[in-house]
Amino acid sequence: MSNVKIKSKNLNVYYGDKQALFDVNLDLNEKEVTALIGPSGCGKSTFIRCINRMNDVIDICKVTGNIEMDGININDKDLDVVSLRERVGMVFQKPNPFPKSIYDNISYGPKIHGKGETKSELDQIVENSLKKSALWEEVKDRLDEPGTSLSGGQQQRLCIARAISVNPEVILMDEPCSALDPIATAKIEELIDELKKTYTIVIVTHSMAQAVRVSQKTGFFHLGKLIEVGKTEKIFKNPDNKMTQDYITGRFG
Amino acid sequence: MTKEERLKKRHRAEKRFRFYGLTSIFVALLFVVILVQNIFSKGSSAFKKTIITTEVFFDQELLEIQNGASQEEIMEADFYDIMIENLIKAYPAKNRDEEDELLKLFSGDAEIEIKKAFLNDNKLIGKTITLDLTASDDIDQLHKGNYPRDLPEERRRISDFQLVIYDYFVENKKISKNFNNYFFNNGDSRDPELAGIGGALVGSFYSILICLLLAFPVAVLASIYLEEFAPKNKITDFIEININNLAAVPSIVYGLLALQILLATIQLPRSTPLVAGITLALMTLPRIIIPCRASLKAVPPSIREGALAVGASKFQSVFHHVVPLALPGTLSGTIIGLAQALGETAPLILIGMVAFVVDIPSSPIDPSSSLPVQVYLWSESAERGFVEKTSATIMMLLSFLIVMNFIAVYLRQKFEKRWN
Repeated sequence: MSNVKIKSKNLNVYYGDKQALFDVNLDLNEKEVTALIGPSGCGKSTFIRCINRMNDVIDICKVTGNIEMDGININDKDLDVVSLRERVGMVFQKPNPFPKSIYDNISYGPKIHGKGETKSELDQIVENSLKKSALWEEVKDRLDEPGTSLSGGQQQRLCIARAISVNPEVILMDEPCSALDPIATAKIEELIDELKKTYTIVIVTHSMAQAVRVSQKTGFFHLGKLIEVGKTEKIFKNPDNKMTQDYITGRFG
Repeated sequence: MTKEERLKKRHRAEKRFRFYGLTSIFVALLFVVILVQNIFSKGSSAFKKTIITTEVFFDQELLEIQNGASQEEIMEADFYDIMIENLIKAYPAKNRDEEDELLKLFSGDAEIEIKKAFLNDNKLIGKTITLDLTASDDIDQLHKGNYPRDLPEERRRISDFQLVIYDYFVENKKISKNFNNYFFNNGDSRDPELAGIGGALVGSFYSILICLLLAFPVAVLASIYLEEFAPKNKITDFIEININNLAAVPSIVYGLLALQILLATIQLPRSTPLVAGITLALMTLPRIIIPCRASLKAVPPSIREGALAVGASKFQSVFHHVVPLALPGTLSGTIIGLAQALGETAPLILIGMVAFVVDIPSSPIDPSSSLPVQVYLWSESAERGFVEKTSATIMMLLSFLIVMNFIAVYLRQKFEKRWN
């Protein structure tokens, strides 16, 4: 049994008057991929945005309850979100490289966190990050070209490299393949498989097949509630809940 | 209605709309062409001035200075007699009255022009040189064909005898046109042939410079704060509404404000580019803040999220990513705001920039005019020579505005990043 890296306890999220998450209790295991599935608007993305406190950006958003990472509550007002986000990286639905060079895209994170003091250290970080995200071979000769000139799939891998560059412990992925074609998707999935050796990964996805392929644990959300969570195999073969059964067999969603 | 009929009707509606659109573009272009053509036809002659080629003999007896005199001596010396003696020789006049009429063909600066020739070469005593002296406004306009000579004499500003002299000059090729340096170098003058926009240019330059220095940093910082950092609440909304309202306030109100606060209360010097710059800055501030905020808003939120997600602080995400991307839009908004300020007249009139200022200002606290106010001043003047000067000043003003707008468009097109 793997260690629990992140543990949410009675997590409630409100957008103004509207409640988006209801008492979510979910454990995420270390160096494992957890997939979150469920119909649109069910709160999967809201949940992962709590883990790196991205919801702070939204003025009307209020989060109650605890999220413990290595036993420390990260939903604490006094917690420094900058150092939290250094430990919890994120990859978004639509690739969002900075409109700067490939090199600058990756070196930005290490620079602001004071990692890689010298040019050669930075070069090393950039190279390692690109190698880990399986992009190095494709871009090693054009590091000063803008990141936005890459193809969609490459851009998304660049964003993954950017997330890796600050050496986080957890990587959150919010439907990372929804804007990509099947070939690019396959590459990202391969990459996730590789990355889980080092990082704890949470992936939100609309594709059941993807959840089955990449994850070890799956949580099913519906209308802001965590309906069922368990080993991916079990959830897809023999779910306990009727609603989960209906969703994975395509009866609603 | 059958399907075909309805389809035809839809096609007709589209054709009609295209026709309306084309017509309005055509009409708009027509107006622009008429306006530009009108200004050009009136104004282009102001860039040339009429000169009378005259022989000038520097007679020692008429001068109290010697060859090799110092600058100060020459400046103080009287060249009036030299001028009179030489100018009356330009045409064989028979008596005093005829000489007086002859002298009136030259500009009021003939003495200074002769003095300047001597300043350039202080060993001219005893020598004769040929000088191009500026003609008076009446002759200038006549020579440019702006003045009808077939009017009866009593309705003309030029007498019959002066016409005779003019024809004599033309016949002997003593009269010609060359580049009007006075128009660019001189300040205002009561004499149209000597009046120039030099003072107004410098005044406008100082005003806009002060306006830029005050308005740009304040507007940019205010926009960044309001757009990126300010909490979204009623106070922010209230400020936003009022910025939009301020941008719509008639500029003359800013003039009144400046009159009361800057001139009456703080007692800053009247008619100066300093006061004009502050007034224009107040007026331009909301007009820069609005495009500034728009260009900050146009930076997609995904860029901010991307920066925050790798652990950038709010400040870093704004200043490392959002502001650089919004900069082209910000700069072009600023330039357009300044272009508006450059063309602003009403508030400047209220703070006394309509004063008649001959000297070219050497600092922002010297009394001065500005380009649009100069247009206003000259358009009120009776002399025919000011008509072309007015149009020529408008041409200068328009070309500055066009250049500024071009820079704004260029900045946007060249540096603005596009998404999708």
